[in-house]
Amino acid sequence: MPEQLWFTKILNGMFAVPVTMLLRLLHIEPKYPAASISNSFSMEVLVFCFLLVLFLIVRSRLSVDRPGALQHMFEGVEGFIHGQSEEIIGHHSEGYTAFLAALCFFILLCNLIGVIPGFESPTAVPIVPLGCALCAFVYYQIQGFKHAGIGYLKHFAGPMPALAPLMIPIELISHLARVLSLTIRLFANMFAGDMVTLVFFSLVPIGVPIVFLGLHIGVSLLQTYIFVLLTTVYLQGAVSEEH
Amino acid sequence: MNKLSKLFMILSVFSFAVPAFAQGGAESGVNWVAIAAGFSMAFASGICALAQGKATASAAESLARNPAARPGIQLALILGLALIESLALYTLVIIFAKVK
Repeated sequence: MPEQLWFTKILNGMFAVPVTMLLRLLHIEPKYPAASISNSFSMEVLVFCFLLVLFLIVRSRLSVDRPGALQHMFEGVEGFIHGQSEEIIGHHSEGYTAFLAALCFFILLCNLIGVIPGFESPTAVPIVPLGCALCAFVYYQIQGFKHAGIGYLKHFAGPMPALAPLMIPIELISHLARVLSLTIRLFANMFAGDMVTLVFFSLVPIGVPIVFLGLHIGVSLLQTYIFVLLTTVYLQGAVSEEH
Repeated sequence: MNKLSKLFMILSVFSFAVPAFAQGGAESGVNWVAIAAGFSMAFASGICALAQGKATASAAESLARNPAARPGIQLALILGLALIESLALYTLVIIFAKVK
């Protein structure tokens, strides 16, 4: 049996059997059929449910005349992300704020939940940042096709039509490398933060790990911002029009 | 001290590696993977630090010249630092993936 967090134990007690049946339908044999929900997945589910409840609460309390504290905070976040995407993408960037803000909240909460004892960061396993990066990749490709139709494929051909046979493989590889770099950047930062705190905890159990936990919190915030910023930059590359 | 004697002094450090040739294979051997991992991580971090220092220095100087352009300079600085940092972290990921 793998080592499970308390929340994972609760989820496995309730849902392990249906999840194992679902996985076997997809021809995947789980390593521990009695505990087929992994720690990272249960933490993701927890973050998702928490954010869902939070968004529903804020939505029900929206008011023009008397905004509460939560509404102020969400307006601040929306203003920040909208301002940044306006600066980078330019005109008509309101439609992208919803996805970018949801991505920001999810990654931020996933990063920070590892600091609380009894929970672990889902972003410290490689598969979760891969999921976020694939979501961002699919999103900006879809926005590119929506904006320019089939003419979006001209972006891959480079500046001159004569260079197209050279540019297309290079552009394809560089787009796939974006997914890889987003994934590894987020995963390595979170994983390294955990490792460094553990190493210093094993050396000096009192006082010193707090400094590294503080650094880890700072890095969590910065990496969330960088992920959202890079997604905005890729969006700009996909929907920009040459004047 | 002229350049040649300095060079010989530095090269003489390699004599510390001589015990590696001592025994054929009677013991379990030196853990070359761990040594290579340590060296490669040190290289990656050192060169990353140099690059980030250059980026920060030029950002600070341009901010001093033109404080009104702060948002743009801050954006470029943070983006640049994070991208350079991620290159050093790729080395760490390879180490964790390959070193048992």
